Parts: sequence; C-alpha cells; structure tokens
Amino acid sequence: MANLIVRRLLQLIPLLLGISFIVFISLHLAPGDPASMIGGPTATKEDLASIREDLGLNDSLFTQYLRYIGGVLQGDLGYSYQTQQSVTEAIMIRFPNTFNLSVASIIVATVIGVGAGIISAIKQNTSLDVLSTVGALAGISIPNFWLGSMLILLFAVYWQWFPVAGITSPPWTMQGIKELALPAITLGTGSAALIARMTRSAVLEVIRQDYIRTARAKGVREKNVILLHCMRNAMIPVITVIGLNFGFLLGGTIITEQVFAINGVGRLLIQAIAARDYTMVQGAVLLIATLFVLVNLLVDILYALVDPRIRYE
Amino acid sequence: MKRKWQGWVALFLALSLVTAGCTPPPPNAGSAGNQTFVYASTADVVGLSPIKTNDSASARAIDQIYETLFVRDPETMDIKPKLARSYENPDPNTWVIHLRKGIQFHDGIPFNAEAVKYTFDKFRDPKTAAPRASLLKPIDKVEVKDPYTVVIRTKKPYGPMLAALAHSNASIVSPIADKKGDLMKKPVGTGPFKFKKWVQGDKLTLEVNENYWDGKPQLKEVEFRVVPEVSTAISLLETGEVHLIDTLRPENLDRLKNSNKVNVKTKEGTPVTYLGFNMKKGPGKDSDFRRAVAHAINQEELVDALKGVAHPSKGIIGPKVFGYNPEIEKAGYDYDVKKAKDLFNKAGMDGKSVTIMTANTKNYPKLAELVQGQLAKAGLKADIQTLEFGAYLDRNRKGDFEMVIGGWTNSTADGSELLYPQLHSDNIGATNGTQTSIPEADKRINQSRTTTDKEKRLKVLHEANKLLVKEAPWVPLCHDFIVTATTKNVQGLEVDATGQWTLKNVSLK
Repeated sequence: MANLIVRRLLQLIPLLLGISFIVFISLHLAPGDPASMIGGPTATKEDLASIREDLGLNDSLFTQYLRYIGGVLQGDLGYSYQTQQSVTEAIMIRFPNTFNLSVASIIVATVIGVGAGIISAIKQNTSLDVLSTVGALAGISIPNFWLGSMLILLFAVYWQWFPVAGITSPPWTMQGIKELALPAITLGTGSAALIARMTRSAVLEVIRQDYIRTARAKGVREKNVILLHCMRNAMIPVITVIGLNFGFLLGGTIITEQVFAINGVGRLLIQAIAARDYTMVQGAVLLIATLFVLVNLLVDILYALVDPRIRYE
Repeated sequence: MKRKWQGWVALFLALSLVTAGCTPPPPNAGSAGNQTFVYASTADVVGLSPIKTNDSASARAIDQIYETLFVRDPETMDIKPKLARSYENPDPNTWVIHLRKGIQFHDGIPFNAEAVKYTFDKFRDPKTAAPRASLLKPIDKVEVKDPYTVVIRTKKPYGPMLAALAHSNASIVSPIADKKGDLMKKPVGTGPFKFKKWVQGDKLTLEVNENYWDGKPQLKEVEFRVVPEVSTAISLLETGEVHLIDTLRPENLDRLKNSNKVNVKTKEGTPVTYLGFNMKKGPGKDSDFRRAVAHAINQEELVDALKGVAHPSKGIIGPKVFGYNPEIEKAGYDYDVKKAKDLFNKAGMDGKSVTIMTANTKNYPKLAELVQGQLAKAGLKADIQTLEFGAYLDRNRKGDFEMVIGGWTNSTADGSELLYPQLHSDNIGATNGTQTSIPEADKRINQSRTTTDKEKRLKVLHEANKLLVKEAPWVPLCHDFIVTATTKNVQGLEVDATGQWTLKNVSLK
C-alpha cells in the first residue's frame, strides 16, 4: 500500500509538468491576449504595448514558460495578470467553498443514489423500480442551470426557507447547512442518478450469486443479506463512480457556482480563461489535476478496505 | 403504514419550521446612519486602483471611494467642479485648476495640488502600464503652482480635457498610500466611502467616511456582492438581500416589472450599438453596399424587440453624448427595402452572402439575429459568427471580419472620445476595428479634439457625425437605455447617462 501511494505521488510530477506545458501552449494558441483584456476595448496601441511589456509578454514563449515553471518548482504559482493577486491566495480563498460544496453534493448524491439503486434492484420490475429509473433519467437530463433556478424560486424566493445565494457561514453551522442545501441538491442530482444506475446494476449482478442464496437459506435477515453480504461486493463499481464524480466536483462546478453565486474554483477558472489570465488558469488547472489524482488514489485505497481480496503489492 | 407517512410529514414540517426560523432577516432596514446597502454586480471588481483598472465593475466601486476633479451632473450631463473649485484657460494649452481646501484622504493626508500631480504623473508614466493611459495622453506637464493650484499643460489644445478629468480613471489617489502599499487591494481616496474589507470573487465592503467633506452619507456600509447570474440577482432583489442591480437584459424586465417589491428605472444613455463594416476588404469597401445595408435596417423594429432597453437615433453620436445635434436624425438612411435591394444589385451582392461577427455579450447575439432577418428581407444572406469576448476583441482589433456588431459605452459622454478611438485613422489596428479612414472625418475629429471652444466643438462634432452617418462605416442599430432595478425602500440614487452612480445621497426608507 505504501508503495502504491509513493508511486502515485511520484507519477504526479511528470503529469503536472505535462499538463502545465499543454495548458501553457493551448492558452497562447487561443485568440486574444491578457493585455487586450486588461486594456479592454478602449486600449490604444501604446496602452497595449505598455501592458505587454509590464507583464513580460514580449519575451519568447520558451522564456515565459521557463520563468513560470521555475516559480512553480519553488512553490510560487505567480501573480494574476488581471488582478495582480497571488494565484495561490486566490485559489485558497475559493477552494474551501468548492470543497464544501463537493462534499455536500457527494453526500446528497450517495444517499439518494445508493438508496434508490438498492431499492430499485431489490424491487426489480415493480413500480418502485420504474419510479427510480425514471427519476435517475430525469436527474441526468435536467440541466443544473434550470434546476438551480427553480429551487431558488421555490425554496428561497417563494417560501424563503433557504437563502438565495452565496456562502457566508461554516458548513457545520445551521446557516452554513442551509446555504449549501440548494446548491448541493442541484449538483448532487446528476451524480445521484449515475450512482443509482450503477448501484442498481451492481446489486442485480451480485444478488443472483450463490453465496447470497446460501445466506438467505441460512435464515439471515433480508436487510443484512443486502447491506452486509450483497453491498460489500457490489460497492466496488459504485465507489469508482462516486470517486470519479467527487474528482470532477472538486475541479469546480462552474454552473452551480454561477447560479448560486458561490465563490469557487470553477468560477475562478472560467473568469481567468475569459480574461486570458494565463497564470491564474495554469495555477487552477494544476490544482484540479493534483486533486483528481489524489481522489483516485483515495478510491484505490478504499477498494482495498472494502474488499480485502484486493492487494496492492 | 399510515403512521409511517404521518411521521415523515411531521418530520418535514418540523424541519421546515426550524429552517424557516433560521433564515436571517435581509440586511439593513435599520435606522438612517446604521444602514447597509448591497449592490449585486455580475462581475467581480478587478482592482481598486483607478490608475490600474479599466472595467465597469471596478469603476462602480472606485466611484464611491475616490473622487475626480470634475464630475458630470447626472441630469444635465454638464461638467461641474468636484475636487476642483474652478478653472481657467489663460491660453488653449494651459488649464489652471484651483482646488478645494480642507479635504483629506481616508488616511488623513491632505488633498492638494501635489496629490493631483502625483496621480496624473503616475497615470501617464509608461512604466505604470495604466490600461486607460490614453485618456490623459495629450497632457504634456502637470505643475504645482501653489498647494491648491495645479497647472496642466498640453502639447496641443485638448477639447475633451474636462470630460477626461471627470472620468473615473482620472480619480485622485493618496500619494502616500500609493507609495506605501497597493491601491489595487487597499484603496485610499477622498470619497464618501472608505475601504473596509474585500474577499475577492465574493464581496467588497466599504464603510462610511465619517469626515467626508461634502456632508456625511446616510449609509453606514456598502457591499458590492458578486452575483454572476442575473436571474439570481433578481431573486436576491426580490427577497431584499440586495438593493440595486444594473446589468439587465430585455428578457429580465418582465419579471421585474411584475414584481411589487422592485422599482425599475430607465433613462436614455450614452452607449451605442452598431453594425460595422470592414472598410479595407470585402463588400464593406463598396459604399453602395454599405448604403444598401443602412436602408435595410429597421431601427424601430430593433428597439421594439429590445423591449425598452434601447432608444433609436440615426446618429453615431447619440442624443446623450456631447456633439449630438437633433438635425442628425434627418441625415440618416430611411428604412427602405426596395432601395436596399436595388443597391445590393448595384453592388453586385445579389444572391451572395456575408458574415457578421459579434460577441456573446450584452444584446449583441439577439441583435445579430434580428439584423440577419432584416437583411434577408432585402435579399442579402448573412451568417452570424458569435465569438467569446476575448476572441472577438482580438479579431476586431485586427479587422478580421466582414461585418461586425459591437458597441461603445461612451463613458466620457464626449463625442470626440467616441469618434477618435473608434473611427479615426490614427487608431486602425487598435480601437478602430472597422479600419475607417475618411480624411474629411479625421479632420473634423481632430478639430473637435484640438479646440477648447465648446460651441466650435459642438459644430465640428455634428459635422463629423453627419459625414460618418453618410459614409456609413457604422450603421447605428440603437442607443442604450440605462436600466436600474432597486428595492422600493431605496431613495436618493442618481444614475447618469453613462450608467455611473454614487451612493452618497442614498438612504433606505
């Protein structure tokens, strides 16, 4: 296990170097440049020249990349072209919001998804199964933008049970829970649908196996058959889906953050791309890539914990 | 089974009560002097230095923290002194500005001629890389005559000087604070509100300047909250969590007008939206083609479709911009599909197609579709190419398009500052995207910039406007209304035609 962790962490280094290079090149290939976005439509040729010089954009691409990567290797992600704020600081302000929202969403998704998936499987071909399948289809199909807006109108404007938008309190307080509730439901619904479908098929596959029949024949209570005997084996693909979804969520949830005015990494990234804020985009992408690798590593570790047959030698 | 359901219902109701009880009351509603005003901005403030920023979100905050030497009257749009007391021009190249006494920056440093000189020198220094440096480029030298008199010398007479000095970017900063720290993060001005806290991407908080020289404001605090989605901002307005929003689209207006909790105000504004031609290549080189397009555009229909966020005018310089003369309405091209068809034939464009480039912001995509429909009626097929704003700006600067739908905010409200950057040959390759080079128009634009005589400036700007409308490098599509929506308890908000506002006189009833 320790080997696996060390190996994965070492693999991160070339991966991040590769990602930083690809992001750097693709940003420079895209039309538009940071000076033009800082100067705006009113900037004259002289204004743009001064800004380019100030940002070091007149240097060759190679020099610019070396300068950037040299800073990164020393733990300095640089400064935003647009706001002149430290990239690390900008990300660190926003990351807790994205993390809290991701955790809340994955909890919503797991509770609904696994619950609905199990019910759907054990009540296969009943009205509950149909309801769950249709619900899952709706969950995947409804765009977050629409669902978020509807939840706001209904629960925040009409009934005023929840705040409309923003995160101002820690997630363990009542106000914090209320602030996270609507965005977590909005975001969790799509993931819940995927998890439900995966859980249903995994449980259906396991539930027909001989050892389940044996357990039932032994007189084990049905609840224990499902939760202890069946779920343990069925969880591997479900954990994979949950882990992947969590990784994606940590990468920023642009639409939900936008609709609920949450100051998260996704919004930071999209604003930075729009402003051609190269350093900020690179910093945010490196963070997201690192988190994605770490979450996947965590999932691999969880496999071994859930299923003792899995060994990482 | 029935019991189980009853249990769930009871739990749901209990949770509802708990959550309902915990919903905080909307901010403020306190007594005067203890009120917090919340503005929802769709974009975050880039920075808080007037020297280093050039975006409207930053300008909104800067307008509350800093002040300029001159300001526009929000109603008449006349320029009047603010931090200045008076001024005189001993000769057309010299502006002697007398400053108000007894004003202090938020850090306690006195406002004086040194501060003005420091601000303008820093603004003009190429090493500063000020994004709006062009605003004060015509200034040659700034001199301190005495502690409260500053002398600005220009290389050539500069007509729009007062408009430039009234621009947010020409706000006066505290020299000590600028030297000591970073005004982008910790601004220090003389304005009615001073900096308190800024969580980037989330919220900027300002607090009242107790020592404000022009009467203490009634609000205690002002929050600039970032709400990127307009529909969410409207929900916040309806629940009273914010008090003002001002980035509204036609599709938002019905919901707002039907709300009994919101006041919507509109007034004619300075921004213009146009259909421009590439004057150097493609069909736009041909004046017959441009005239045909101008005849094919039905401005009234466009304005109607924008449901009250725009007003018509044939002028490139619109009714709220200095240099406008109502005579221009007779100079434009009438909507006449037959004439348009004939001219398209004459230009050899019959059965051919063109591409209209636009950006995915403001009302441009909607206008592009409407224009496409109107051109089709006159027999011209137009394809629309909608680009992300950065890519649009890049191609616009390079003149890489056949036709373009774009706009100009006119934040100085001065015609020279519209025609010079956008349609003068000096600025081809930068702000003059259509690459317009009409010597007669250049001459008049130059005249409007190099005379300080107001009447003469009005005359030459009108002539330039007429000439450009006739030559049609741009066909004006509409001029914007400035639309603001506030909660009903907001009083004293004054918004000018450029969309600029100050909260100095605002209170919550």
